[in-house]
Amino acid sequence: MNSYPPELLAQLAPVMFVAGLDPPPPSTPTTAQSPTTPTASKAPQQDPFVILTMRLREALLAQRKVAIWQPDKSKSFQIIPVDKTVRFPPRKLVPQDDPGYSAAHSPLSPLTPSSPLHPDGLIAPIWIRKHTTLVPSVFVMFLRIYEYPPHMPRSPLDPPDPDRERDRELEERKRDAELAADIALRKKSTNERNIKLTVVLMATRRMLDDPSLDGRLTYIRRQSGLDSRAALFVLSPVSQQELGDFVKSLQQALYEPALEYYTAHSKRVRRKRNRHSQAISSYPTVPHTPLGTPGIGRPLRPEGWTVRYEYKMACFAEFRGEDDIALKHYQDAYEMLVIMFGSTAILPPRTKRWAEAKVLADCINIKVAKLYLYNNEHALALSHHNTHIRKFGDFSRGWGIGEETFEFWSWIARQHRILAELLEHGTQSKLVIPDHRPVNPVASQRPSVAVPSSVLELEAMRTMGMNPSHALQHPGYYYYMAAKCTEARRERFLAAAEAEASQTSPHNPSPGFTNEKKVDHLIIILELYTKAYELFKKYAPANAQNQNQGRLTLWIAYRIGQTYYESGKFDMAVRFFERIAKSYRREKWGLLLRPLLATWYACARQLGDVELSIRLLVEMLGYGVEESEDPASLEEDLLAVLRNSIPSTPDPEPMAIDLGESQPMLDSSVAFWTSEVKVGEPAAFQLCLAAPTTITLASLPFASLEIHFSGNLPPVVVKHAPEVLPAVVQRVDLGHISSSGAAGSPVANFRWQPGAAVVLTGTVSSGIPASFKILKVVLTLVEGPWTIQIPFDPSKSRGSSVPSARWLSSVDPPRFFPITREDFSSVIIRHRSHSILMSLSHKAPAYLDEDYPILIEVTNADDRELEVTADVLLQPTEIDGTENAIVLDDERSSSLIKGVNFGVLQPGVSVVKTLHLISTGAAGERMVDVSIQSTAVGGHQHENPELQDMTETLQTLVVPTSEAIKVNFGVVYKRALTARAGVADLRTYDHDFWDDSDGGEAIVTAQMECAGPWGLEVASVKLLRKDNEHAKVVEASIDTDNDIPSDYLTGDEFSDVCRVSMDIGEDLDLAEAAITGPGSYEVNWRRILGSGDRGPLSTSIFPLPPLRPPIDGVIALLDVSPTAKLHVPVPLTITIRNRHPSRSANVTIQLEPDPSDGFVVAGLRSGRVPILLPGGEEKVTWRLIPVDCGYVKVPRIKIVDKRRALVSAQAREPNAEVETEGDVVKIIDVRLDRARERKITGRVSVESTR
Amino acid sequence: MSKKVLKAVAFISPENRPILIRTFSNEDDHASAIKYHYIAHTSLDVIEERVAAGGKSTECYLGLLYAMEDVAVYGYITPLKVKIVIALALSDSVVRDVEINLLCKALHMAYYSALSNPFLKLDAPTDATNDHSPYLLVGRSNWKNFRRRLDEISRVVSNPSNAAGT
Repeated sequence: MNSYPPELLAQLAPVMFVAGLDPPPPSTPTTAQSPTTPTASKAPQQDPFVILTMRLREALLAQRKVAIWQPDKSKSFQIIPVDKTVRFPPRKLVPQDDPGYSAAHSPLSPLTPSSPLHPDGLIAPIWIRKHTTLVPSVFVMFLRIYEYPPHMPRSPLDPPDPDRERDRELEERKRDAELAADIALRKKSTNERNIKLTVVLMATRRMLDDPSLDGRLTYIRRQSGLDSRAALFVLSPVSQQELGDFVKSLQQALYEPALEYYTAHSKRVRRKRNRHSQAISSYPTVPHTPLGTPGIGRPLRPEGWTVRYEYKMACFAEFRGEDDIALKHYQDAYEMLVIMFGSTAILPPRTKRWAEAKVLADCINIKVAKLYLYNNEHALALSHHNTHIRKFGDFSRGWGIGEETFEFWSWIARQHRILAELLEHGTQSKLVIPDHRPVNPVASQRPSVAVPSSVLELEAMRTMGMNPSHALQHPGYYYYMAAKCTEARRERFLAAAEAEASQTSPHNPSPGFTNEKKVDHLIIILELYTKAYELFKKYAPANAQNQNQGRLTLWIAYRIGQTYYESGKFDMAVRFFERIAKSYRREKWGLLLRPLLATWYACARQLGDVELSIRLLVEMLGYGVEESEDPASLEEDLLAVLRNSIPSTPDPEPMAIDLGESQPMLDSSVAFWTSEVKVGEPAAFQLCLAAPTTITLASLPFASLEIHFSGNLPPVVVKHAPEVLPAVVQRVDLGHISSSGAAGSPVANFRWQPGAAVVLTGTVSSGIPASFKILKVVLTLVEGPWTIQIPFDPSKSRGSSVPSARWLSSVDPPRFFPITREDFSSVIIRHRSHSILMSLSHKAPAYLDEDYPILIEVTNADDRELEVTADVLLQPTEIDGTENAIVLDDERSSSLIKGVNFGVLQPGVSVVKTLHLISTGAAGERMVDVSIQSTAVGGHQHENPELQDMTETLQTLVVPTSEAIKVNFGVVYKRALTARAGVADLRTYDHDFWDDSDGGEAIVTAQMECAGPWGLEVASVKLLRKDNEHAKVVEASIDTDNDIPSDYLTGDEFSDVCRVSMDIGEDLDLAEAAITGPGSYEVNWRRILGSGDRGPLSTSIFPLPPLRPPIDGVIALLDVSPTAKLHVPVPLTITIRNRHPSRSANVTIQLEPDPSDGFVVAGLRSGRVPILLPGGEEKVTWRLIPVDCGYVKVPRIKIVDKRRALVSAQAREPNAEVETEGDVVKIIDVRLDRARERKITGRVSVESTR
Repeated sequence: MSKKVLKAVAFISPENRPILIRTFSNEDDHASAIKYHYIAHTSLDVIEERVAAGGKSTECYLGLLYAMEDVAVYGYITPLKVKIVIALALSDSVVRDVEINLLCKALHMAYYSALSNPFLKLDAPTDATNDHSPYLLVGRSNWKNFRRRLDEISRVVSNPSNAAGT
């Protein structure tokens, strides 16, 4: 931007002159010049008006800075402090009263001979400077209004002094008149130019309250001829804050007149332009220039005038802040300029006007771009800029400064640079560089984004695409372009300089060339690249992953390094290269590294840094050379460096060049024949080192090669032996490499021809488990005093390809075959696994409750002595209600027994141990894992379990488990025959009173069956009584006649019956609960193992089932003897019990004799039993005299409980005689009373412990 | 399809190694090869930025990466993170994203079909746990098919009218 006049680039804003705010002379106090303020003279530094002026000046000057990028449209002025008596430049050179005035032109017009534009100017920055610095749109004068010294009456009672008042009035009037005259003078000059004059009178606060102020102000205004509006302000010393407000409101008030001022200018220019364009037809003749010498040069053609007018109108519009109009006029001016440039007749090249027009065109271009950018119309801005470059590039060719000249590139670089600078200014303000990410259709479909119009726009954007050259990028790109163009400029310049030097005849160099010679191109290039670098760095995405420099910045840094190299600052260049190379090596883009290394090496050579040169040459050997270059060049260079220099120290350490992330110079691969070998076995490997074909290494004096293995193997050194004949594939056998090193001293020929390979083969072995690979290979190069060691990792592939493994199978002809393993470059050495046999024997299925033996037999089938331990894990089962355990030796566990020692086994010896499995609960499968660990006796105890010589043998055993004896219980219930004890029966209060009248008896049948496949010997069966408070075993058949113990086979059964008496106390709710079985059967048994063998004694417990006696309501028990003799009466008794807990029963009995009955009945035929209270019972007895023999039926008896019927009848209709049936009461023959288990299964009552 | 001049195409592996950088400019000298290497390399910056900003977006086409000197650089990333960088000659005309996307897809398909060559895996270890895909091999000079396809695409792009006839 510095290459263009700043006036042509700066953003224009209305200009305001302020006068009367001169800073006070700092040295002398202001006493003398302010007689009007005697009070202030005492303390001049504190004079509020001095402070006020200072502050005002500051505030006003801070309003706006001259800047190129200033898009905001706040109504602010460009404020310029001036002297009160400042003079404006004359409008015309002749005085106004001269007769030639109307024909005269402005002093800046090309028509005025004394103008800087005469004779062949166009429009100069001086014109803008006139409007920005010499002529304001608004003139503000700050003046002090006269204040009569305040009257200090001696006493408040003193009357006003009329003399003094009169004096004061006179004095004021006099001073005001002087002031008004001053203003009027000023007003005259501003009026001439239609400049608004505003006066700000500064007065004390006291003055503001003075009633005479208004009158005085009116007087002053009238006298001075000030406008009535916004022309006179009064300001008293106020705070900073209020001052700011004042400055703002002052600008607000004056903005309108300022706009009017510039509009008037615009109108005037438009008038001129119109007049001019109408006059165009008559224009071809030389325009008469009334003054001065006509036709000296090239009078401005109509196009030129149009440019002037359009440009002026654009500027005035810009002053007004009307960017659209300004843009329009600028574009018109630009178009016209292009037309002018298009014709050498209108604008002959290389004239002053031409140069001026060129600068003007460039500046207008930037203005246009800037105005577009203000509106965020990036594409239009860039389009204009690109078109400008292209058009003027084309013109340049016509002017003889085409691409082959430095002038052309200088100009292009300037264009890029100024755009970059403009963007930089913009981004510091409000300009945002757009992101050119493609519009994501998914995102744009979201309704939230979405007013339909914008969706349409997006769609249009998508289908339209965009011109990539119109994509606004951050200024770094444009700086970069400028730098590139400057490089081109330098190139052209150097070519021109060379041409000049080679030219024998003295050629008259153009003035441009002479100038160009003074330019230090490299400094400009560096500056531009550095700017680009900073901007790229600034705009680089700041993600964590990208902590190192971005690739774009690296690329520019590389260009900077190159430029330093070009300018001979090799040390700087080296610093850059060092840093960049690090990243490039890591990225492994070899092709990028190659030119970098080449330049770096050139720098090192220039700097005379031998070691660095050697390092770089060795690294460069790794990357090879271009096809166009001599493949031996690097090798020769390296040798030359080594031969022609000596190390810095006389007896140097070997110089190690660790290329780390760089490419080694040899293609290398390591392959092991197998991925795994046993301890002590040899593992064969091949290390193949091959020279690349693109470069020669044959003359490099490699002296030896060291191979470093991982683990404790010593490095193997292979020496160079020139007597070994070089071959395409040289096979060198290293023999077996053990911890004592290689067997012999291997030699090989290390003069690699292009493409030749040295294959080093050998075997490694280890006595302990290990993992081997070749860590690194160190090539040693000895030349004269130099010893250079070049280590590299042979497993890493050279270049970027995936390494592939090959195994040399034949030397002549050389043949390789691929190793298709992934981990080919390493070998793992493991212990031989022990040969341990484990067998588990048992007789399935196991029975529940049985101590089930499982034999574990461990045999050492190895030839080593082994120590064996075992872990046994009983897996948890998913079956409910099981409780299992395993027992091995003395250990018992429900899950894991660990580390059971089996002792040291000699080869061929076996050990048997019995594992006991005890499972209870439910049948099902049990799983046992048996793990045998064998360790070699006398082996090393390694910290790392991986390396221990240990073998684990694991076996899982599934044991099906079934029940040995299956028990089926059958329960029937008999109702008690005895009557309930009376309420007042004292016996019931006894502690051990057993009341079974409610419960009755249960008869439990236990049927036991041998269910399993194995026979059992039942040793004993016992009923263990566990009487509880609700049930007790009365008797059991087993007690009397226990002949059960015997041998039983599968399917054999035995059984027992027992009677249980139940006492249903009041606390037991039978509907809810059941009674716990009052005991359990205990069966002791052994498994029959065949041929008289018996297993261990096992005990199975079968608890009696829970009891659920029937619940009755009203019930009738019929008791009659089973047999009777003819004509001998027998009693028939019916006991009616009301067993309902809360309800009484109203029972009727009806005996219905029938002629077919075999009885004669004596007793109640039909009647009602007294109401039975809950728990009550009533007996009714008949006598039956049998009259028939044989099987006879007892008479039919019907017992009905009418209570419910009655209740329901009463409920329905109290007085109605309704015959109701009522509930029939069930009659149960006590002889056959076998009530079944209730279906409702209640929970077993919790057995009380007492 | 409007006429475009394809200057170079770069395929870059997920590990940011160059697979193949093919230049189509007539001045096929070393300098231009290096230049497009640099362009491919530097465009990785922008690609990474775009991918990071895109989040989990599955859009492959990354749009204009940057315009520098005489080329406009466009990017594309395959679902398996192979990056395709296209350098178009910068001309003063509108480039439709749809067309570039199409071009990218064609290049992607060319790469894909070249990659399906079973012979590429001839030397690869059979028990490889991590798939050393033959990404980089496909760009080697001994596999000509891929290059031929790219040249074909370049020709079609430069002469859309001819391609329509065939």
